[in-house]
Amino acid sequence: MNYALWFQLASPEIVLSIAGLLLLLIAAWSSDKSARLVSILTVAAFFGALALSLNFLLADGYAEGADAFYGQYRMDRFAALSKVLIFLSAIACVIVAPKFFARDGMMRAEYPILILFASVGMGLMVSAVDLLTLYIGLELQSLAAYVLASFLRSDDRSAEAGLKYFVLGALASGILLFGMSLLYGFTGTTSFIGIQTAFSDGVSTGALFGVVFVLSGLAFKISAVPFHMWTPDVYEGAPTPVTTFFATAPKVAALALTMRVAIEAFGGQQSVWQQIVIFVAMASILLGGVAAIGQTNIKRLLAYSSINNVGFMLIGLACGTPEGASAMMTYLIIYVAMTLGSFICVLDLNDREGRPVEDIPKLAGLSRTRPGLAAALAVFMFSLAGIPPLFGFWGKFVVFDAAVAAGLIPLAALGIAASVIGAFYYLKVIKVMYFDEPADVIAPSDSTARLALIAVSALFVSPLGYFATLALSPITEDAARALFWAA
Amino acid sequence: MAEYLPILLFLAVALLLSVAFVFLPIGVSRLTGAHKPTVAKLSEYECGFPAFEDSRSQFDVRFYLVAILFIIFDLEAAFLFPWAVTVLDLGWEAWGAMMVFLTILTVGFVYEWKMGALDWE
Repeated sequence: MNYALWFQLASPEIVLSIAGLLLLLIAAWSSDKSARLVSILTVAAFFGALALSLNFLLADGYAEGADAFYGQYRMDRFAALSKVLIFLSAIACVIVAPKFFARDGMMRAEYPILILFASVGMGLMVSAVDLLTLYIGLELQSLAAYVLASFLRSDDRSAEAGLKYFVLGALASGILLFGMSLLYGFTGTTSFIGIQTAFSDGVSTGALFGVVFVLSGLAFKISAVPFHMWTPDVYEGAPTPVTTFFATAPKVAALALTMRVAIEAFGGQQSVWQQIVIFVAMASILLGGVAAIGQTNIKRLLAYSSINNVGFMLIGLACGTPEGASAMMTYLIIYVAMTLGSFICVLDLNDREGRPVEDIPKLAGLSRTRPGLAAALAVFMFSLAGIPPLFGFWGKFVVFDAAVAAGLIPLAALGIAASVIGAFYYLKVIKVMYFDEPADVIAPSDSTARLALIAVSALFVSPLGYFATLALSPITEDAARALFWAA
Repeated sequence: MAEYLPILLFLAVALLLSVAFVFLPIGVSRLTGAHKPTVAKLSEYECGFPAFEDSRSQFDVRFYLVAILFIIFDLEAAFLFPWAVTVLDLGWEAWGAMMVFLTILTVGFVYEWKMGALDWE
């Protein structure tokens, strides 16, 4: 027992938890007047947690990671990299929110606090090396997310999104728990290493059901086909800052969690989960590419785009190799930048009365009324479609490269074919913005913070991003190695 | 053949769940829709609401708030019982962990009190 080390390893979550509790008390005593102060303090707490995670990511001596709390929690470079991504997305989602909610007078101090608590849960998820830590982290994140989805409680669509997310999320948690209980029953342990040891001489049929149910529950959380049905409705109905959050931070956490479960817990029996992951990846890519074509609401379109991107990332996991995991982390970093950028662009689409505009036809001729915003949105769309020389192409390239190296050539070929289909609807948005007669409904921007965030993300996904690969590839390779260290 | 069992299971689970999402609500309403009403069956039980009236009528959401708050503190007690019988064997570590848990709960309680969730009016 070494409490000093344990608390140091879990310091990002501890900082965020204490900040969350204190801010909750501030919010209780000063009600909504303090929303601005609470937001600023939340961002400060996130920067603190970010610095602590970066220390684990970059400092020497944590290369192999370390366990804490009797093997319930591990801080390694994989967890640290995921946490950096999660906290950065959360910071962006706190910064863009006040302007959006202020229009309805609904900016409440609880918004940043809920994001804080959700981030604590996500930190636990990516550090979990035991089924119980995994579940507690997942539930902490989900409970905060249900409330966030219905944050505009007087708005019908937001309430519907919250209710739908809650009912289906509870069902997915039930499936996950059922799988965990089967795994515990047939292996006698809840720790990932213990399950790996128990699986080293074959998987019994009962444990196989456990694996299938756990993967089904996790597929729901990453909104992969065939468990994606909640995504478009929730993304459309939830307030846009919340949708921005859902599409970035929880997705990073759930994907990282899926990687750790597949590679550490089920690592010895790769053939068992590999075919499931290949199927889920293929189905997500195809459905995400085809179903988005008929959408006229830009938030729904981006929801299908995120399903599509999850499919591409799962190709990296399907490889089951360190190269695949490293490619997946690279894709994840680029995905977060692209998604943050495109959703913040959507946040900036308001009409003259300040109401949000979500219909794609209303974006007609945006290139003449708001050339800067249209250019940024075009960059994100091209990047999501994976068209070189934008940075989104690099993410797809490394994933396909790893798939070919692992011998999954048909999967890679199908992914490339489907990404061409997917390019259609991204290009359609660009066509509406650049070649249609101006509809002239979008008002000039009223937030410099939004524009700054859009500029930063656009710069990252622009060809300049390739300079970042020099710094990023050693980090993602380290993270992937940390994941395979135990396997 | 056997090596494709996992994917078969996965697809079966996925299909079952998707079918359940679509058809379970239909099936339930079909089965429960054919009702044979009697006065006793249709009258509301004790403190419940009348079952058949205008669906847009308002009911007091405060009942639910009180019920949820009750469950939270009920669960807290459920955690305290096993802790209380073993704390002497587990030592200061267990005592500290429970104090952290209770502190977090107290912060939640203070928030709830301050936001007026405990006031009926």
